[in-house]
Amino acid sequence: MALALNIVSRTSHSISVLEQQMQKLSLVVFNSKREKHLNPKPRLRNPTWLVRKTRSHTDDPITFENREFIKEIVQDKLVQSNHAIDEIATNNVIWTPNIQRTGVIARKIGVYPLWLKNGSKMQTTLLQILDNHVIKYYTPDNYKPHKEIRPKVYNKKGCILLGAEFGDPSNFTKDYCGLFKESGVLPTKWLARFFVSPEGALPLGATISARHFQVGNYVDVRGKTIDRGFQGVMKRHGFKGMPASHGVTKTHRRGGNIGGGGEKARVWPGTKMPGHMGNTYRVAKGLKVLRLNTKYNVIWVSGQAIPGETNSIVYVYDTKIPTRTPTNPLPLPTLLQQTDEDVPEDIYDESIHIFSDPTIIFNEK
Amino acid sequence: MLSIFSKRPCIKCFSETSKILLRCSSQTATSTIERNKDQLKRQIVEYRHVYPEFLPDPKIEYRNLIREKLERADMVARRTQVDIPEFYVGSILAVTSSDRHNPEKPHRFVGICIKREYCGLRASFIVRNMIDHQGIEIMYNMYDPTIHKVEVLRLEKRLDDELLYLRDALPEYSTFDSNMDAEILPEGTPVPINPIKVKLKPRPWLERWERKNLKGIEELDLPERFFKRAKELEKPWEKYDLMKEYMRTIPEEEQIEIFSEVQAELHKLEVQRKKMKRKRVIVKPSKLA
Repeated sequence: MALALNIVSRTSHSISVLEQQMQKLSLVVFNSKREKHLNPKPRLRNPTWLVRKTRSHTDDPITFENREFIKEIVQDKLVQSNHAIDEIATNNVIWTPNIQRTGVIARKIGVYPLWLKNGSKMQTTLLQILDNHVIKYYTPDNYKPHKEIRPKVYNKKGCILLGAEFGDPSNFTKDYCGLFKESGVLPTKWLARFFVSPEGALPLGATISARHFQVGNYVDVRGKTIDRGFQGVMKRHGFKGMPASHGVTKTHRRGGNIGGGGEKARVWPGTKMPGHMGNTYRVAKGLKVLRLNTKYNVIWVSGQAIPGETNSIVYVYDTKIPTRTPTNPLPLPTLLQQTDEDVPEDIYDESIHIFSDPTIIFNEK
Repeated sequence: MLSIFSKRPCIKCFSETSKILLRCSSQTATSTIERNKDQLKRQIVEYRHVYPEFLPDPKIEYRNLIREKLERADMVARRTQVDIPEFYVGSILAVTSSDRHNPEKPHRFVGICIKREYCGLRASFIVRNMIDHQGIEIMYNMYDPTIHKVEVLRLEKRLDDELLYLRDALPEYSTFDSNMDAEILPEGTPVPINPIKVKLKPRPWLERWERKNLKGIEELDLPERFFKRAKELEKPWEKYDLMKEYMRTIPEEEQIEIFSEVQAELHKLEVQRKKMKRKRVIVKPSKLA
């Protein structure tokens, strides 16, 4: 027995000695300049707010009364946070084209036509601006992007984290609810990040309405496209396919040739082939705001090809197309809502025919 | 119950009578609400045929309550400017709209309505007529602000929901006089159904009409194999598909909700239209004389 123990201790000792020696060796190896890329830093780091959102459902041993009590408390808090008064610091900075304002989280609620005053029909998409709340703000020096691209950035932007649509806090994880501690807003279902100039920064808990945007200006809309799954070349890239008859067999919807022979003897990268279609973020740029509804916070935007299905979440911000920047100054950081102000329910662009106006008659010119 | 209460003689002391009166008043209130509901229900049964475009999209994934509300408000706003009467596929219409190529004179087109489709502001209908031996069809958007007037010259239905087969029928079935006078139906009569059977031209056709199970066409003169194939392709079980029916239609509770929102406005417009109609009836004989 004693002998066996002795052997075990001796072997373990020898192993530890070996390990130490190996570690020394490895240190030497990894500290050398030649091998510094063997264990590189991660290129992409998730932002701090990207935490697990929903918690797994468990049947907690709570009595019915307590469950009701929790619901009541959540309801009370909802009412409170809806009435949170905005305190937007008016620093009296007038908007200039190089100042970037925040965007908003919106929901695509459908497509319907509007008519212009010249009688032509125009398809428009309706975007409902949700109850956006500011949850976090990182100053330009404070915000560290996950990927440093350039050594020096001029005109550095801060970062605003917005949340929209209150959810039931008992369904979210503790980490996720912790994000909202600083701002005092109830946990929201959706989060979005927007870069803003320091002049466009908003205080925590501030809300943004549809009148953040103005009629006649242009916006970009970012959304997740409809997931169409694995699709063939005809649907995915609009190929023509091949004839249905005249001796064609088994190649009616196929792509055909994908590369030349000879010296190339390979498939060029980026060749259009079948594959997964949709479910990616896309931006529809330069869409005109044609109409605003202040009651339901809805904006009408030109075009019907906005990424995403009806009732999906999209992100709306001032356009980045340089030729479509607005000429009139925009409300900075966002429009202050006064209670005593008389706001019309619908605000129309000049070119739009209002439905309650008389029938269009063409004048001879 | 109500009638019994009201007819009861009040001989007893004051407090009792007051009690009875109170009960009476509460009952009348509830009964009036119920009566209004009944009336609304009865109206809505008609509304779903008269204003089919007010109902939401049959595709569930396209629906959104707020969008539909805004859309309905816009539709009612347009209806205050132009009178869009009740009409069906098979009715004969005269549509007057401003023409950008002839700004002086609005364009009037008379013809038979062969199709109505879509819902909301994108609702549209197709009007067909033969002009100089040439079949002409115009698709109008119902809420297009260039439309001045929609007149119903003959209000009737046909045996089918779509009359697209008139494109392959003999020309006399889609020829209508553009100076036709409006035929006025007496108030309260149900919409007549025209049981006319149309004779189609010989093949080739635009569609395979023998496969469509049409009721408004005469017996087709085709070889046996056409009917055999049509028999193979028909889906007689579809009318028993409850799920399909459910997805296609909007439940009555939702319909009541939708129409009760716009009912007041629509009723006002209807009353206005009736007044105008009466005026027109009186004016007519003086013109003739």
